[in-house]
Amino acid sequence: MFRLTWKGLLAHKLRFALTALSVMLGVSFLTGTNVLTDTITKTFNEMFANAYAGTDAYVRARSKIDSQFGTQRARIDGSLLPQIRTIDGVLDAQGTLAFYAQMADSSGKPIGQPGRGAPTFGFNWVPDGKLSPWKLVSFKGVESAAPASDDEVVIDKASAHLGNLKIGGKVRVLTQLAPKEYMVVGVAMFGTIDSPGGASAVMMTTREAQRITAPPVAPDVPAQTNQFDAIAVASRPGISQEEMALRVRDVVGEPARYEVLTGAQVTAETQSEIEKSLSFFRIGLTIFAYIALFVSIFIIFNTFSIIVAQRLRELALLRAIGASGRQVMFSVLGEAVLVGLFASAAGVIGGIVVAAGLKAMLAGFGIDIPTGDVVVARGTVLLAMVVGTLVTTLSAILPARRASKIAPVAAMRDVALEPNTRKARWTIIGLVLTALGTCALFFGLFGGPSNGIAFVGLGAMVIFLGVAVLGPTLARPVSKVLGWPVARLRGITGELARDNAVRNPRRTALTAAALMIGVALVALITIFAASTKASVSVAVDRAFKADYVIDAKGGGFGGGFSPELAKRVAALDEVSAASGLRFGAFKVDGGTKFIVSADPKAMGDLFDIDPVAGDFPALGVNEIAISTKIAKDLKLEVGSRLPVQFLTAEDMTVGAIYAAGQREGLSDYFISLEAFDKRYPERIDNQVLAHLAEGVTPAAGKRAINEVLIDYPTAELQDQAEFKQSRLDQINMFVNLIYALLALAVIIAGIGIANTLALSIVERTRELGLLRAIGMTRAQLRAAVRWEAVIISLFGAAMGLVVGLFFGWAIVEALKSEGITEFVPPGPQLLVVVAIAVFVGVLFALLPARRAARLDILKAIEAE
Amino acid sequence: MAIAETISSPLAARAVTASKIYGQDDNEVRALDGISVEFARSRFTAIMGPSGSGKSTLLHCLAGLDRVTAGQVFLGDIEISTCKEKQLTLIRRDRIGFVFQAYNLVPTLTALENMTLPMALAGRKPDKEWFDSVVDMLHMRDRLAHRPSELSGGQQQRVAVARALMSRPEVIFADEPTGNLDSRSSTEILTFMRGAVRSLDQTIVMVTHDPVAASFSDRVVFLADGKIVDEMSDPTSDGVLERLKSLGN
Repeated sequence: MFRLTWKGLLAHKLRFALTALSVMLGVSFLTGTNVLTDTITKTFNEMFANAYAGTDAYVRARSKIDSQFGTQRARIDGSLLPQIRTIDGVLDAQGTLAFYAQMADSSGKPIGQPGRGAPTFGFNWVPDGKLSPWKLVSFKGVESAAPASDDEVVIDKASAHLGNLKIGGKVRVLTQLAPKEYMVVGVAMFGTIDSPGGASAVMMTTREAQRITAPPVAPDVPAQTNQFDAIAVASRPGISQEEMALRVRDVVGEPARYEVLTGAQVTAETQSEIEKSLSFFRIGLTIFAYIALFVSIFIIFNTFSIIVAQRLRELALLRAIGASGRQVMFSVLGEAVLVGLFASAAGVIGGIVVAAGLKAMLAGFGIDIPTGDVVVARGTVLLAMVVGTLVTTLSAILPARRASKIAPVAAMRDVALEPNTRKARWTIIGLVLTALGTCALFFGLFGGPSNGIAFVGLGAMVIFLGVAVLGPTLARPVSKVLGWPVARLRGITGELARDNAVRNPRRTALTAAALMIGVALVALITIFAASTKASVSVAVDRAFKADYVIDAKGGGFGGGFSPELAKRVAALDEVSAASGLRFGAFKVDGGTKFIVSADPKAMGDLFDIDPVAGDFPALGVNEIAISTKIAKDLKLEVGSRLPVQFLTAEDMTVGAIYAAGQREGLSDYFISLEAFDKRYPERIDNQVLAHLAEGVTPAAGKRAINEVLIDYPTAELQDQAEFKQSRLDQINMFVNLIYALLALAVIIAGIGIANTLALSIVERTRELGLLRAIGMTRAQLRAAVRWEAVIISLFGAAMGLVVGLFFGWAIVEALKSEGITEFVPPGPQLLVVVAIAVFVGVLFALLPARRAARLDILKAIEAE
Repeated sequence: MAIAETISSPLAARAVTASKIYGQDDNEVRALDGISVEFARSRFTAIMGPSGSGKSTLLHCLAGLDRVTAGQVFLGDIEISTCKEKQLTLIRRDRIGFVFQAYNLVPTLTALENMTLPMALAGRKPDKEWFDSVVDMLHMRDRLAHRPSELSGGQQQRVAVARALMSRPEVIFADEPTGNLDSRSSTEILTFMRGAVRSLDQTIVMVTHDPVAASFSDRVVFLADGKIVDEMSDPTSDGVLERLKSLGN
């Protein structure tokens, strides 16, 4: 039996190749994702292992704020350092500080890609080689030195190249203080690479770093100029890390305030953080790989169904000469296993190649990863092989079972190729599946379970299956309607195309269902994006009163400005009100929430925040303002105490309540800048908003503000319309990325169309021969095949559009409270989606159409 | 286009020293071996011969489905042996009718659509009067809306004959048209074909191995080993049988 399976495969290489290709693409994507993330993880792991290589014990504050943007930790008292240095066995101890610092070259241009690329860091220069991964190197023939005075810095080698800086030259550094010019006295490498992961680094004396990072003098906070993020300790030889950590812990004391880790623990923790932040990326991409494989299931199932139908006679003959039903089933399954194994193996190889290419591309973007090997974990290969083979084999089980049930007598009889009668049972199953999927989707979206996204995914999958099961019932009437204009316009070729599309509803429906998934997801994203954009527009139009926004170039996170900038803008005569705007995270009511901070006195001119109770402009340093929604949800009023946690837990007083919260596109929580300064270690304005004074023309206002911005090369001045557009552009960028990822699913569906048409053409050989004999031209035959593809694609697109509209509506409805208030299905864009689906259908029909047209007429009409 | 009006020629089709050779050297098979044969207008000619005599090859070459290796083939005045594939297709569509042994019809189209298929492919409407007379002659009026799967073998073959007649072609080529039919249906079809030749001046060339079928024709051409070995006018089935026996066996 195995020989038979093998021979069958060899005899139908094209069928084999197309089926394998659909699985291969999904497996490639899966493998590529894992190889790429493994490679990046390994790179970063090595980098951090390097960074902490000489650290044996590590002291830091216990209190911290975790958010999706990372962890912010309180600083520790510098007076601990001399005490730690006296501990027996300590070779050296150094305080470390890391902070936002953006370098600008001599022409004032920022170095790197602020706001978009890798972060820009400032550090205090740690002299001892053992506690610092940075090594001074000579640069362009000049020897480096450590910074000796407060206006000297060492910079990383990558930035020195990028900014065309040299030792002895000047560099401007933007920090949370006013910009300052420093003398470059040294260039350093991070281990063996120019800069870690493309981040820029500027290193100054510890005193200068402490001056920059010192908390501001708020009314009730004394200045603290001797603080560190952490203290790293190196031991003398022969003392274990655990032993040293114990000794340091004894000296530091205050276990509620300080924690002491071993060097190994810090390394492991940092590495796991990297892994966590990369897992977002990994999971995101993996989802698209599985979507692709899900689409493949339809194609494999369809292909094997058609193959079994076409081999009916042959399989029945096998049964007649004594093969058991099981043997027939296993011969079909055997083919699936072989296809699966082959496709998975090819997919793994393809994935590795793709990952290597992507890695090279990252290097091209200036993200310098140390030249290491591409990491191909055994688990990656195993997973890809198992998933690919399993998907293929499982998809073939039903067709194989059908093959096993073929009666031996069918060999002698002229029977219909595929059962065209459909049991009502299947319609009911389809309806039930769709209903169940909808329930799961709604529960995930509106029921508020903790793992809502899983329910949404599961619901969507079941809905797809349900609609696919309904497909054959819909195929005949819908294709007839869709094919009507084709038949009208294209005459007999159109008519033949339509008739061919409806003659096998199961086949047409399954082929269309594969396309439906891609179309539905693309439609969903299109609707979601349009709705989000409309909501952003509405929110900006409604609430935005500022005339100008100063934003970090390229937008995004990580960029920001010294509060000096806002102060200088506010001081302009042309400006009536200006304030820095900061975003943060804190804990309240058991969850991590988003909080906005600005000058409450200026807010009235900048935002239509619509205060309804309390004295918003007079918000105090220990007061918080909340939206009416939160006031209602948490039953709070002005004067209530609200337990919150920034770095430490405390009670804040509700100072004001305002109407425009997150639902309106703003935030549900607000504190003053003074309150923010008191609670966060770093105080960088994410944006600065400005309102022009009465009678000042936009041109004059813009000129005045731009004058200030000369000192801040990362800043970009936008008026309201530009600001709105930049928000929309960000959404577009995100959406385009998702489109690119979904393209894979659409391409696989296209392969499915090619496969179905090719198999159908084999089956219609005689009929095509007849048509050619009685005078159908090759061009007409090709057109008929293409139009058949158009009808199948239109059917898939129609189903996809309906499902996509439903998903889009449901998700927008679920996100109303998050500020997506408008449901906008964009007609023209959705039409484009349909057009693309049809284009894909025609594109993938080209090859089968050519094959059909090339048919040898004599052989065709003589074929059995 | 080269397909000018060809009524001028008294011959509907002819082959001039036509050869068809398959394979090369030692494996060479001469399906047609320098054959020259003429088919007069408005005549019903049968081509007969043992298996492998080249009768089907001759029909395919005459009908523009296959190409001769050497020699010439004409349809009326057009030399089709030098035509390009695209021209051949149009000639088949507009000037030739076909009836095959089986699988003669497109299963997705109705009887009516099948009958008018070549004209639909050409983007023309059939002549209403002609259509009616053909349909009535074949007694297919009440079956026009049926699909092939809903018709008997004889009815399917009648649709095929109707299709062949519909565009009033120069020649109808029929390849074992009764091969799959019982004797009653066979007689019916052959009677129709003869009727088309007699009353409608149609030219028909038919390949068959059945002496009874051959007896409906005006003339029988006998083939053996790719050559014309004999011919007979106004044949009877017994006479044909005799001749066949003396031929190969």
